[in-house]
Amino acid sequence: MTTTRRHFLKLTAVCGSALALGFDASADEPFAPNLWVRIDADGTVTLTVTKVEMGQGVRTSLPMILAEELDADWERVKLVQGIPSAKMRGLGTGGSWSIRGLFTPLRTAGAAAREMLVAAAAAKLAVDAASLRTEKGFVIHDATRQRLSYGELASAAAKLPVPASPKLKEKFTLVGKRTKRVDGKAIVSGKAEYGLDVRLPGMLYASIERPPVMGGTVKRFDATKAKQVPGVVSVVQVSRGVAAIARDSWAALRGREALEIEFDGGPHAQWSSADYIWSLHEAATKEGISTRSAGDSKTVLAAATKVIEADYVYPFYAHAPVEPMNTVAWVRDGKCEIWSPTQAPNDVQDRCAQLLGMAAENVTVHTTLVGGGFGRRLGWDYALDAVEVAKTSDQPVQVFWTRADDMQHGFFQAPSVHRMKAVLGDDGLPLLWHHKKVSTYHNARRPVTPAQIQDPEYNRGSSWGVYDVPYAIGAIETSYVYVPTHVPIGPWRAVFAPSSVFARETFFDEIAVAAGRDPLALRLELLSAAPEIVEAGSLKISRPRLRRVLETVAAKGKWGEQLPKGRGRGLACNVYDGVTHVAYVVDVSVRNDKVRVDKVVCAIDCGLVVNPNGVEQQVEGGAIWGLSSALKGAITIKDGRVEQSSFADFDVLRLDETPAIETHIVGADSPTPYGVGEPTVAPIVPALVNAIYAATGKRVRTLPIR
Amino acid sequence: MPAYKLTVNGREHHVDDVPADMPLLWLLRDRLGMTGTKYGCGAGICGACTILEGNDAVRACQVTASEASGKRYTTIEGLNDHPCQRAWLEEDVAQCGYCQAGMIMSACALLKRKPKPSAADIDEALSDNVCRCGTYPRIKRAVQLAAKLGGGR
Repeated sequence: MTTTRRHFLKLTAVCGSALALGFDASADEPFAPNLWVRIDADGTVTLTVTKVEMGQGVRTSLPMILAEELDADWERVKLVQGIPSAKMRGLGTGGSWSIRGLFTPLRTAGAAAREMLVAAAAAKLAVDAASLRTEKGFVIHDATRQRLSYGELASAAAKLPVPASPKLKEKFTLVGKRTKRVDGKAIVSGKAEYGLDVRLPGMLYASIERPPVMGGTVKRFDATKAKQVPGVVSVVQVSRGVAAIARDSWAALRGREALEIEFDGGPHAQWSSADYIWSLHEAATKEGISTRSAGDSKTVLAAATKVIEADYVYPFYAHAPVEPMNTVAWVRDGKCEIWSPTQAPNDVQDRCAQLLGMAAENVTVHTTLVGGGFGRRLGWDYALDAVEVAKTSDQPVQVFWTRADDMQHGFFQAPSVHRMKAVLGDDGLPLLWHHKKVSTYHNARRPVTPAQIQDPEYNRGSSWGVYDVPYAIGAIETSYVYVPTHVPIGPWRAVFAPSSVFARETFFDEIAVAAGRDPLALRLELLSAAPEIVEAGSLKISRPRLRRVLETVAAKGKWGEQLPKGRGRGLACNVYDGVTHVAYVVDVSVRNDKVRVDKVVCAIDCGLVVNPNGVEQQVEGGAIWGLSSALKGAITIKDGRVEQSSFADFDVLRLDETPAIETHIVGADSPTPYGVGEPTVAPIVPALVNAIYAATGKRVRTLPIR
Repeated sequence: MPAYKLTVNGREHHVDDVPADMPLLWLLRDRLGMTGTKYGCGAGICGACTILEGNDAVRACQVTASEASGKRYTTIEGLNDHPCQRAWLEEDVAQCGYCQAGMIMSACALLKRKPKPSAADIDEALSDNVCRCGTYPRIKRAVQLAAKLGGGR
């Protein structure tokens, strides 16, 4: 998900009445234009959006970047959602990579189109191109007060060569401007179409009863009663269970309820998450794969007088987006058409084609709006459900999951145990830092290979927040111990960072307490040492930039202020993926063991900011996501099955529990934008836990907080 | 199967061939083609399917077709430049947007009951609605703004 390849451009123009540019944003593949800018004779600018909108605002921010360089009229930019094909790859949306990856390609496309329009205008007016300027969809010749619209220039511009390296702007007018989400009106009027809202003529609805035990199978079933439910059209067995297909959703649900199925629990029918987490504790004595090693731990330990140790425990979580998984598929005449709320359109196309034994070009995937992604919809399992059911019918079929299906049969955030050790010197400064993460890799979408298990880089990839510890400490050892499980594990908002950063930043607070030092001052001191840039794996972490967010959040969050009894203030920070710097100050009140979050202050350096409104939304969302994970529900598994089934037993933060959240953006003068959707999640949890310690003297080492 | 008559957004609908226990949620979405009201849990826990019955917020997944018969409902599609919608846009509340129809309808019901709600009133009226994107701080502001825009009238 975190591709590091550099993006570069090859542009082509398509002639006709419109100016259309396609360009290739990938360096290591043959030329495949995956992003099209089109300017029609009526002046409409159409941008194919090659990322999925799931609330992170790409349908607003990506066009802003294009419109900026093109000097387009923002009101006349039209969006088309990219449809996956051999030529249109890279639609997968995750890892907080959309703006980070597309910023330069979009700017270049906009600038190239603008230069071609200017050249066309220069020829038409017989003036020097340098005497022309552009504004809101017009090329303007000030000396003669002539204005030519982009629409009337498009056809001539399309016949001109595409500039190889168009000049990019030095000053922005739209990028950086607080801009409202383009989908806002559709959403508040109920017109926005999510996967579950797809309606096609003659469409059927299906619901699948699955083996309740993970890895279980259907032994036998009797559909007699199900077929008697009015509206039920048919019952079919598919690889993940038995589907009732009906005329409407209710009949599908009723039909499913009436199914009589005997399941075989399979090999994991006794499995429990409590046992598994216990096995993580046991495995913490193993050596593991080293993910970073610096200094001489042996000598430091031999001479140590003050050693601090602690284990931190992180549970399973579900994604629980409010829109449950669903997909519509229509299989006919050797072709398949799919409508899916997916974060992985290319994968959906490829995997569904594979399942159907069709060439990928015969499978068309329409990506709908996504009612909450959070990594869950990087999986294609629910699209395969739809295709399997739909191939038994001539009609389009919508397969929809219930809330319980969604809680129990997706993939999960991995649990982990973190074994921490530090040695303090006589001056209270840490001399040694050990962080061992014991957990499991992602296994839901692709199997883990034996080579990956031994590969330090792969293990680093599963230990964000562990090996990239930013502090200047003489001896550092970080490692990863793999404990396999059959439970499907996959990406969740902020992926591997939340558990690791919870352990790291809480343990840091423990060290500060043990050393009798202020946690902010100790952080700043250990971030002021040379070198300024810490190299860990392939990441380069900037200590000065991390210091700056800490100093900002401390000032804005009134760090050091005395609070009344029962209240506490906590602090934590992180550098996500080596690029986005986030620090939080969290205020809590604790009364009768009940935690209330009073206030959250965030300072974030995510580089250049395209839409400050979008950054603030993601800070609010990331903070609330993190607080939910710390204070509310987790997933537990007993007798092989998930125990939770709804928001009643996997609760999430509610409106009345939500604190005021303040965002302070720093570092927006940077030339490059970085991600923001995920980086805001991880450090809120240790900041909260540290605030609870400040309020009560009780140290939380296990999530969720009970 | 019996036939039912209900009014949605001022328009009368006659529905037949529908079982008595079919939740209004599915009746709206699958039979009347109004998909603005969302399915989130089917158990009255998440609030995504909140609509108005008269002036009161109800969960469309918890009202059966037979109970709905003869009653008047307003769904998100029935709002037209409503102060809540304007306030939601002004505060740029939505992220993924999926839960927002339920949030807006809950807010409408609150404002009809209490045109000038306190922070505690807003907490009480909207804390049974789940949002996973984390739009709650903006919802609080939007409800206050909608009240100022006359959302209770």
